[in-house]
Parts: sequence; C-alpha cells; structure tokens
Amino acid sequence: MTDTQSTAAADHRGSRTTDVVVIGAGLAGLTAARELVAAGKSVAVLEARDRVGGRLLNHDLGDGQVTEVGGQFVGPTQDHILALAKEVGVATYQAAVPGETVYVNDGRAKRFTGHTPPDLFALPDMGIALARIGQAAAKVNPAAPWQTPDARELDGMTYETWLRKAEITGDAVDMINLFLNSAYGGEARDASALFSLWYVSTFGNETNPGTMERGTGTTGGAQDSRFVGGSQLVAQRLAEELDGRVHLSAPVRRISQDSTGVTVVSDAGDWRADRVIVAVPPLVASRIVWDPLLPAQQDQLFQRLPFGTLMKCVAVYDKPFWREDGLSGMGLLRGGSPIREMFDNTPPDGGPGVLMGFLGGKEWRKWAHRPAAERRGAVLRCFAQVVGDRAFDTIDYVEQDWTAEQWTQGGPTSVAAPGVLTDFGQWMGRPHGHVHWAGAEFSPYWNGYMDGAVRSGRTAAAELLDRD
Amino acid sequence: MNHYVVTETAVIDAPLGRVWDVISRTDRYAEWVAGAIEVTDHHGVATVGKTYAERNRTLGPLKTDSVWTVREIEPLKRRVDTGTGFAPLQDVTNTFEFRPVQSPDGRDTTEMTYQVEYTIPLGPLGLLLDSIQQPAMRAGMRTSMANLNTLIRSEDSGTGRR
Repeated sequence: MTDTQSTAAADHRGSRTTDVVVIGAGLAGLTAARELVAAGKSVAVLEARDRVGGRLLNHDLGDGQVTEVGGQFVGPTQDHILALAKEVGVATYQAAVPGETVYVNDGRAKRFTGHTPPDLFALPDMGIALARIGQAAAKVNPAAPWQTPDARELDGMTYETWLRKAEITGDAVDMINLFLNSAYGGEARDASALFSLWYVSTFGNETNPGTMERGTGTTGGAQDSRFVGGSQLVAQRLAEELDGRVHLSAPVRRISQDSTGVTVVSDAGDWRADRVIVAVPPLVASRIVWDPLLPAQQDQLFQRLPFGTLMKCVAVYDKPFWREDGLSGMGLLRGGSPIREMFDNTPPDGGPGVLMGFLGGKEWRKWAHRPAAERRGAVLRCFAQVVGDRAFDTIDYVEQDWTAEQWTQGGPTSVAAPGVLTDFGQWMGRPHGHVHWAGAEFSPYWNGYMDGAVRSGRTAAAELLDRD
Repeated sequence: MNHYVVTETAVIDAPLGRVWDVISRTDRYAEWVAGAIEVTDHHGVATVGKTYAERNRTLGPLKTDSVWTVREIEPLKRRVDTGTGFAPLQDVTNTFEFRPVQSPDGRDTTEMTYQVEYTIPLGPLGLLLDSIQQPAMRAGMRTSMANLNTLIRSEDSGTGRR
C-alpha cells in the first residue's frame, strides 16, 4: 500500500479522500505537491501519462546516457528551477561547446564566433528590431501586461506587423522567427505584439528585468546550462520524494465542486479533496468537464492559449565529430530551411555525439505530415549544411512531435494571438472556487520555461495554504 | 529568334528506380531544383497533361512564378515538361533522361542528363542576355543534380529508427 492510499481513506461513496489533489505531474504540479506535503497536507498527484515530467522527456541513448527530447536548457535568473534541481541532487553543466557557430542563409554557410551572425544585410534590421523590443518590453509589467501603455494597440496587431513597422530589408522578422520557431513553435505572425513583448519581459526575475538578449542567449542566457542526467531527472527525483503520492495513468475527466470541497473523477478512480491544483496546459484544462463550468472568460482564455507546433529532431553519431573541425554544432539556418536552430546535444562526458534541431512553426506545418524518411532526410540535410556530410552517417535518429502528445497538444508553450491578453488575460490565474492553477504558462517570470513551472507551483501552493 | 539547348550530365549515386521515384514527385522540386524556392501547386506523381507551379529565383533578388506542364513520360528513361513564366525566355522545354550505370565498385547508379531548350527573341539583345544567363543556368542544373544526389543520400543513409 502506498503512502497516498494509507493517508487517503475511502469515503462512503468510494472516493479516496485527501487534503489536496494536484492534477499533472510536470514540474509545476510536482513542485506544488512538494510544498504542500512539506506544509503537512495530504496530497494525491494525478498524472494522465504513464510517466512524470510533462514536457520534460529524456531519451535513452544506451549505456546510461540520455539526451532530452523536451525542455532542456536553464540559465541565469532562473533561480527557482536551479535551486530546486540542487535540492534534489541534479547538477548542471555548461551547454555551450567550444567552437564556431555556422550561419546558413540561402544554402550558403558561414562560420562565426560570438553572438552576431555574419550578415551585413540583416544586421541593421536586427539592430533596430532589438532596440525597439528592448525599449517596448521594458514598459511591460510581467505580472499584468494588459496594463502596458498602449496595451490595446499592441494587442491589436501581430508581432510581425509590429516588427515590420521599422524594417529596412525585411530580415528582422526572419531573424526573430529563428528564435520564435523554437520558443513559440510558431512565427511572429502567430502572436500578438503585446504577448511577444510581455514574453520578453518575463526573461528575468524580480531584480533583473527581462531582456531579449537573456532569452535568446547561450552562455549567460536562457540556453546557458543543461542538467546532468537530463531535465526529466528533476521531475523523477521530485516524484520519488513524493513517495507513492503520484498516481500515473490517471487522466482526470471531471471536476465537480460544492461548498464542502471538490470531487475529481479520473480513470484511476475518484478523489475527494478540500482543494485542487490544476497543473496542466491551459487548453488541456479547458477540456476537462467542469461542474460548475469555468467562468466563461477563463474558459475562453484557456481555449485561446494553444501551444505551438514543435518537433525536436535528434540525430545520434558514434562521436561528436564536428568538434574536431572546430565547430560547436550550433547552427542558425535561414532561407526556408526546415531546421532553423540546432545545437550540440551530446551528453556531458562527450559521447555519443548528438545533434538536435527544432522543427517548428511553419516548417512543422510543412513537414510534420510528410513521410518520415523524407522529413528525416530534410533534417539531416540541414545538419549537413552546418557540420558537413558526416551528418548523414547516423547511428540513430529520433523525433519527438509534441503535437502528438495527447496531454500536451503542442509545444513548447502557449502563444496568444491578438486580443487575448487585453480581453481575457486578467483571468489567467484566478482561482475557480476551490481550484487553483499552476503551470509554466501561469508565471510572470520565465513564462513557458521550467523556471516558470516551478515558480507557478510554489505560488499555487502558497495561495492554497494562505486560503486555508 | 535565337534557339538554345543547354545540357548537363551527372551521375546520381542511387539506383535508377530510386532516382525516378524522386524526380517524378511534382511536390518535391523545391527540395532539389536550384532556384525553385517553393512549389505553389502540384499534382503529386507526374502525370502527362497535368501542371504544377513554382516560385523561382531568377537573377539576383528577382523572382518569378512559373507553370509547368508534363508533356512526355517514358518510365525510368525520359521525362519532358514545358514551362512558362521565365520571360524573356520562351518555349522552355525541360528534359530529364536517365540511364543505369555501374559504379567502379559495382554499385547501381544512374546517369542523369538534364537538358533545357528555350528561345530568346530580341535579336542581338537576346544573344547578349543569353550570354549572361546561360552560365548561371548551367551552374543551376549542375547544382540541382548534386542536390538530388544529396537528397537521396540523406533519405537512404542507414540508421535504425525508434
């Protein structure tokens, strides 16, 4: 008998009872559960999948090695995930590999060092765009973006429209899309300008305002470090700590509330709790049967926060051969390339060699439904433009299409189209009776990132304990 | 009216059937034909009498929209299409021909002949224009066949998929 079963007695209707049910065993839900257990609450975590980690997923390379096919990077100002990982004994290491990056535009590859791609035609536009983004994002309150000066105007246009207002060559939108391809699983035209500027404003913490440079940066930025043993290990360690309180393969179908508490109906049985924390993606939350219904504005908001379209493509080699050629394995690819950003994802001890590329946004839409061999070929051709023809000599090739995950339905995070934040944004984390919200999308800092997930879990637990 | 025929030949390191399968897909030209930025309309596997459309790069930053009609198919041997949209080039005919050949180490490979016929009016000015565009066209044809070789290699390189 697990601890959960022993502490959660069955009531007369056959439901198990507990103080709090947490729905979702991603970082947000597990963090919330950990905080609540520490505060003396009995907790049951219900997870739809047969694993923990949500958007964190390790891929086994054999011989005890893993690489991630979900979220993987952490960096400065992501204080909460870094502290939590340390607490559960998961170390970090520098993600950047010494060597030159390769910039590919229209099939022409150029090696460079530093942060500035060698493209004289694109740089003026990028300089103007980054200056405008910095200036505008600084005016956004990460906790209340709808209060931004000109919020309605900014939320009435797409990010692409806003960027094009000051373009010279048109390269800025394409360069920004390099980043959004993996950050949104989308394009600048998918998101409102206000949402995108707010998103940049979240790349920081209470004392360091968010900046684009921190969000897009490798060393010193959001892609600074990775976890030894893979990011999913943090979630696995949390689940171990929770010692039987996590129930897998338990998708929640219905949440009913009355004046005395909440009944949660799942495929693994029913639970009765004083309070519930829902820590699943907003769109997935909107598909639970709610009784009473969610407030219409909150339901509309959740329905309008779909995740992007993103696939991670991973090629495995006997060794990271590109390092011998002075290459870092990092590539930025433009001109209609299926992969627009790629990294060396080799485990920290140097083998086997792993290259990882993001297939996102419009390129996902173009390639996701093509025959697997054709898509794989297109990905490897991108890799070959960066590291040479040895990219074709794989020993393994893996794809993780996050749109095919029923309990995530896209990746990596929610992207709001024009009108969503100003009309519905204030409903984001508002408790619904005895139900509280957590998840990376509910955080004012590092929204959509691991750090945002951990922050939101702590915030939801604190809010719940405060109301008791 | 000046009539031109430009021909380039290359060996594709793949069996004829595999090469034929790829070149027959009208949706795939942007993946290997140099200058084809995007296939904007297609009918899947090439069928005589049907059309497909592309957005193409011409000279420098200039782009054009072309429409091709499949005219002849001799399976595993020859394919002929005619195209419009390449002004000042007119009466553009594109021909692919294939022949199985053995590589020195005994592998089945394919000799591909890529031919483009066209006319340019404008008399002496047409001659001048062709002297500018023909080298780029030849280079594009060679690049296309190299791209085709790489495309097939990338899709056929052996690896276990999980």
